[in-house]
Amino acid sequence: MDLFLQYLANGIVIGSAYVLVAIGLTLIFGILGVVNFAHGEFYMLGAYAGVLTVTLLGLPLIAALVVVIAFSAVLGVLAESLLHRALRERDMTSSIIASFGLAVALQNAALLTIGPRPMLLQTDLSMLAVEFGPVFLPLPRFLIPVAMVVLVGLLFGVLRYTWTGRSLRAMAQHRTVARLCGVRVERVAMVTFMVGAGLAGVSGFLMSSVLMVTPIIGNMIVLKAFTVVILGGMGDIMGAAVAGLLLGVVETMTSAYLTNGLRDIIGFVIVIAVLLFRPQGLFGKSVERS
Amino acid sequence: MKAGLSLIIAAVFIAAPFLTGGYELQVLMVALLYVTLTTGLNLVSGYAGQFSFAQGAFYGIGGYTTAIMGRDLGTGFWINLPAGIVVTGLFGLLLGIPALRLKGHFLAIVTIAFQTIVYLGLIQWSGFTGGQNGILVPPIGEVSLFGATLVDITGLTAHYWLTLVFAVVAVWIAWRLVHSRLGREWVAVKDDETLAGAVGLDTTRAKLTAFVASAAFAGAAGVLNAHVMRGVTPDDFTIWISCTIVAMMVVGGRGTFLGPIIGAILLTILPELTGSFAQYKLFLFGVLLVVIIIALPEGLVGRWRKIREARA
Repeated sequence: MDLFLQYLANGIVIGSAYVLVAIGLTLIFGILGVVNFAHGEFYMLGAYAGVLTVTLLGLPLIAALVVVIAFSAVLGVLAESLLHRALRERDMTSSIIASFGLAVALQNAALLTIGPRPMLLQTDLSMLAVEFGPVFLPLPRFLIPVAMVVLVGLLFGVLRYTWTGRSLRAMAQHRTVARLCGVRVERVAMVTFMVGAGLAGVSGFLMSSVLMVTPIIGNMIVLKAFTVVILGGMGDIMGAAVAGLLLGVVETMTSAYLTNGLRDIIGFVIVIAVLLFRPQGLFGKSVERS
Repeated sequence: MKAGLSLIIAAVFIAAPFLTGGYELQVLMVALLYVTLTTGLNLVSGYAGQFSFAQGAFYGIGGYTTAIMGRDLGTGFWINLPAGIVVTGLFGLLLGIPALRLKGHFLAIVTIAFQTIVYLGLIQWSGFTGGQNGILVPPIGEVSLFGATLVDITGLTAHYWLTLVFAVVAVWIAWRLVHSRLGREWVAVKDDETLAGAVGLDTTRAKLTAFVASAAFAGAAGVLNAHVMRGVTPDDFTIWISCTIVAMMVVGGRGTFLGPIIGAILLTILPELTGSFAQYKLFLFGVLLVVIIIALPEGLVGRWRKIREARA
């Protein structure tokens, strides 16, 4: 039982990182209809921005966090304004190919400038730990779910109570009507990418003290985030949050009680099953699709 | 113009082995493999209108079929080839089943999930697949009929010729399929599935055959690739290979016959022209893709067709 609780905690830590990446992905998909293959690269570059700020510049973690958010937000805005703005009225394949191209370019740019050597963020925080009864978590890991809850709460508040949030939700519901009501599509698109990339960057930074950072870490995380987006229902933020945590826990349990080899596969098997039997996602309402 | 372009392409590929025996020939051979892969994908995505990001997985399944059969059963290329095509075709049928219920991005995600499962399976099931290290595959070797050796396929040039024959046969089969009744059914399903069903077409059959055909093309290319490259590893069959194949099809022009062929050749050869900047090859490939997709939404051949129609 003690061990089970520890696995559960580890699953929630990993799951929280998935949630942060997946929420950006589901926002970008739900509001703009863009399938953003380059989202894993936002995660990867966020991780590098954080690690390099701390190790090369010697700045404190809070300053590094600010750098990561600013850097990722700028990256998101650039991706939107240089790429997806030109593709807005096209079908989905164009945005998929463009974001795939962007992912290849960013990944190789990182490889050329930073190199393939894995990095791990090591700080004084790693010495500290949090204990709840039998569960033991190093502080950097404990902070991941905390940050996730704070950021998701913040996002919910913004979406619910600010005009920016209302315009984002309006766009998600019906693009044309939103435009007719005076929603500025350009601004909404930019904010969406900024928020999405920012969340992915923060997730990468938080995970940089748990898993090694290399130029290719974005590949697997973006695919997993896609499964989370599907499981939660496309465009559904709360669904993505629940599904992300669920995936993290299921993966950890699979690796603990079945076999480590199935760890990365299980999510994709679930997603195919869900799409075949409940295409609206685990928590979604059935809607007419065409 | 179209005939002229086809002739130039054919001339280059036929003349190449007489002019070079090294790196350039290798690049052209890879381009020919991609021609087969992309032409296959075009059947299901370009003509039948069903998204698929799993062509790389089928490519891998074909390659691993020949590698594993060769290792465990000791069979050679000419037995493994039909086996590889059948096995990949069956997997194509398997992936076609979700396509009966799902459309658009939902189907795209299922194919992405399928592709990822195959890739991870190749890594994890290491007792059977050799894991991360993959499996070595011998060259095709001597081809004999009734005890007499016809031709010895071991060197690069011989493999190149075989790949060329393969690509030509694949393109010819695709041409026949597209211009058959089945091919017209695919287009009908793409244009309006409800209407196609209403006029009595069997849309289930149309979709499944498109998936099987497209997978079979990739399977054949996979078997050949395994022998040509002397081995298979999981990293040759990632989602990024699938995306590259989709990109080639889209850049050339989806749903046109010649487009994906040109796309495959261009996107294989252009990054190789970087010469002394070879380390920037993949970076430039990414940038090139973005630029082309923004500048030419309907692909090269699609754009050319549009210009010609505007003039007429």
